[in-house]
Amino acid sequence: MHSLSWTTRVISRALRSGFSTLLETASNATANVNSASKQRPHFVSVVCGFPKDFLTSKYKPGKYGEDSWFKTSTTNADVLGVADGVGGWRNYGIDPGEFSSFLMKTCERLVHCVNFNPQRPVNLLAYSYCELLEQKKPILGSSTACVLVLNRENSTVYTANIGDSGFMVVRQGEIIHKSEEQQHYFNTPFQLSLPPPGHGHNVLSDSPDSADTLSFSVKEGDVILVATDGVFDNVPERLLLDVLKECEGVTDPVKLQMTANSLALMARSLSFDSEFMSPFAINARRNNINATGGKPDDITVVLATVAM
Amino acid sequence: MSSVSDDDFDKRGAGSIVDFIKLGAEDNDHSYDASVLMNTSDGFHCADYRLDQYAVDVADFSSQYGSDYSISYTATNITGKPRKYPEYGDFPETYAMRTYGEWWEKAPSSVHEIQPQNISKIPAQDYIVIYFEEYVIPEEIAIFETFNPGALIRIWAYTITKSWICLWETEKLCMPPLQAINKARRFSPQLKKGNLPTRTIRLEFNHSLLHYFTEIDAVLLRGRKVNIESIQRILDCYKSHQKCSIIRKLQQIHFRPNVKGNYHNHLREFFTNDLNEFINVLNRNTEVMKSNVTAEYSCKNIGFKDMPFEIILKIFSYLDLKSLFLVGQVSKSFYDVSTHPLLYSEINLKPYWYLASSDMLCTLAKRATVLKKLDLSWCGLFNTISPTEFKKFIQQRGDNLMCLRLDSCKILNASCIETLGIVCDNLKELSLRNCSTDPPLLNFSCLANLKNLERLDLFQTVIEPELMLTMLENNRKLKHLNLAYCGIAVNMDTVAHHIGQYNQGLISLDLWKSRFLSAAGLEALSKCTELEEVDFGWCLREVSLGDSLKKLLLNCTKLKKLFLATVRGITDRDVENIANFCSNLEQLDLMGVSGITKDRYYEILVKCRKLQLLDLSFCDNISSEEIAFWSRTFQVNIKCSHFPDVPNDIRY
Repeated sequence: MHSLSWTTRVISRALRSGFSTLLETASNATANVNSASKQRPHFVSVVCGFPKDFLTSKYKPGKYGEDSWFKTSTTNADVLGVADGVGGWRNYGIDPGEFSSFLMKTCERLVHCVNFNPQRPVNLLAYSYCELLEQKKPILGSSTACVLVLNRENSTVYTANIGDSGFMVVRQGEIIHKSEEQQHYFNTPFQLSLPPPGHGHNVLSDSPDSADTLSFSVKEGDVILVATDGVFDNVPERLLLDVLKECEGVTDPVKLQMTANSLALMARSLSFDSEFMSPFAINARRNNINATGGKPDDITVVLATVAM
Repeated sequence: MSSVSDDDFDKRGAGSIVDFIKLGAEDNDHSYDASVLMNTSDGFHCADYRLDQYAVDVADFSSQYGSDYSISYTATNITGKPRKYPEYGDFPETYAMRTYGEWWEKAPSSVHEIQPQNISKIPAQDYIVIYFEEYVIPEEIAIFETFNPGALIRIWAYTITKSWICLWETEKLCMPPLQAINKARRFSPQLKKGNLPTRTIRLEFNHSLLHYFTEIDAVLLRGRKVNIESIQRILDCYKSHQKCSIIRKLQQIHFRPNVKGNYHNHLREFFTNDLNEFINVLNRNTEVMKSNVTAEYSCKNIGFKDMPFEIILKIFSYLDLKSLFLVGQVSKSFYDVSTHPLLYSEINLKPYWYLASSDMLCTLAKRATVLKKLDLSWCGLFNTISPTEFKKFIQQRGDNLMCLRLDSCKILNASCIETLGIVCDNLKELSLRNCSTDPPLLNFSCLANLKNLERLDLFQTVIEPELMLTMLENNRKLKHLNLAYCGIAVNMDTVAHHIGQYNQGLISLDLWKSRFLSAAGLEALSKCTELEEVDFGWCLREVSLGDSLKKLLLNCTKLKKLFLATVRGITDRDVENIANFCSNLEQLDLMGVSGITKDRYYEILVKCRKLQLLDLSFCDNISSEEIAFWSRTFQVNIKCSHFPDVPNDIRY
């Protein structure tokens, strides 16, 4: 609506003072837009993923099984996030996907609030965790989460990560930043949780403050992968790097989507390969657990490149 | 209207004329204003396209369900495009108010309105004021209601001339039509024709007939865009009309003194030279009328005037404030009666929030020499009343004040509160709902002087913990206490211990959404054996209650209302205790409590024979069919908002 009012105003002014003004204003306007966007980077981002039981699960936007994701942007920030609901709650009659999905949806809404601070993504996690307590319906369960914010003002990415979801940044064929996996012990990541009443004392619950935070500046062409453990547990880092460096500087969302699709499919097929020495199996062996093959899990891939 | 005092001649008319104009300024008057503006500004130009806007900000509101720091059910959710419409259901992404239906009025803590004759037939219970980005001449206002529609009763617009215009008013309060139940609604009533640009809209609600909370997703304002030159022209025109009411009146009877430039001199000239002619004109106009009146008057032997003063006073005491001011215009003797202090011992300006001003307060201060009760709720938005004037009023008339309500009042600053604390030491009832300001009113400490309070209402008002404790200690006669959502700094366990120690006569206690109340606090409260009403909704989080609730229920046998919304720690045993010990229970809220077996609910219905309301929204282990069946069998209004497809008011 606003652009309409703007154009109308411009056109009416132009009609009053000759058409040449219109041309001038218009060209000025486009020049302004160009110069403004030159200094301000943004994400070209795509999403792909699979729920663990692909055949039985119903498609819901923003969800792959118990995984959830969101991507959104405001005038001065682009935000990506993934969360992985902890599956153990199913035994208590709790849908583990609901917790992660609520967390991500609330993060997305909080980004559009007036007091959103792009430099503090951990606040997003903290506030959306608090928001759980404001719901009439008890939303119980627990989840890992990873949120990544591109602050356009200073081309810097700020991240917050709890648990074993994570991100990876690739520039000129090398991984320049990577999230640390936070675990209490093997296969038990840090997690935000809200246990049912009466179970409070024997449930692992980490406060949003325990999130790993990181900030780094990005350049045009950088590739950023944000994914849940379904990807990192099944695809070896070397393989990830090989795929990611192919799409450095790609700004065509269709091409990027194809890469994301192949990454997700790669993770999916490796997770069901019982012979493959997956990163998960290697980790298990380090912890004296004899395991081979991938780890079937929900898979979420959020892939982004930095464009100016 | 304050500029009237520019004029020497109007000064003699003292307060009454000013107030008459103010109080008489109804919607009619505004439309008249607008039409005059239209005529004289030779049809001001407005752009020929329409603009659709969604609200960008919330200026003020009286009540919200969500907490300030949250984004669920808060007032700011009304801004922006609809998020949920046309879906129907209980969504945290919308704006909801705290109450619905008549349940709060039926509870022991309900209050009576001061000067009830002032209140219009369809009283507003809550409001919200929202901003839009651009000034438009409103043509359509659409409310997107996603849950229990039908609460909207009035739409006001704050025009560029700094006055409120009522754009729409419902004719009568009625249940939403059957086909509208369980459907989201885009409600856009037919607006009154107005010509003044606005970008501030006020919505007023009355939810007394609603079955459950109403939720509003967004508000759309559609109107013709006005360009800045026109706005300036309207304002200039308006100002010139405001300059001098006598000149305006003269213009109206087509007698135009030349008033350009130095009109003071011109007017003086007119009075010395042309007054006779003017009076002749006037006489000619009124002669016909006069003859009629005298004829009528002569055939009556006894007039209203012949009645004893006391009778007239009694009759006048039934008049609302507006009529009281108007009737004072009739004659000198009526004026004398209508300004009698006894008529002003109770003043309620809440229904006249749109007229309340410093001038009016000044006039009232002259008349209300024996003021006992005062309600200035909702007044003072956009600085219509200055804090200084309010302070002066309180200093003059506050010493006998027993009851003071300042809900959502925008006048208050720290020094106002200080004055209150010093002057009004006889207060029995103090209501400061929703009075939080930014920065907070730190100087609440003078309120510690108050010693006779029986009712204290601090709903949604941030208060210092220390002061809170002192007040509880000083006011041992306290009967009704509302500390619902009064800030996160207050440790409710300490407060509860203080209440248990000093305020054992408490009848109602509202701790809705207050923080840090635990089982220990609950146990301390069990010393208040007179309790009839408690609201622990949204407190007692993440705690197992142990035996504390049982103790409370055992001691407080008079309990009529027990609200335990989202107290997730409640177990089967607690619900069993409710059934066994609360034989007087009328209202019970168990919303969001999970893991209770069905039989326990059934037991409550069987054993609490006086139960009228049972909220089981978001409770599990129970189906909508069972709820409907129980509702019919036990004649209890059972709510279950998590089944949006089932009518929420399964009524018997």
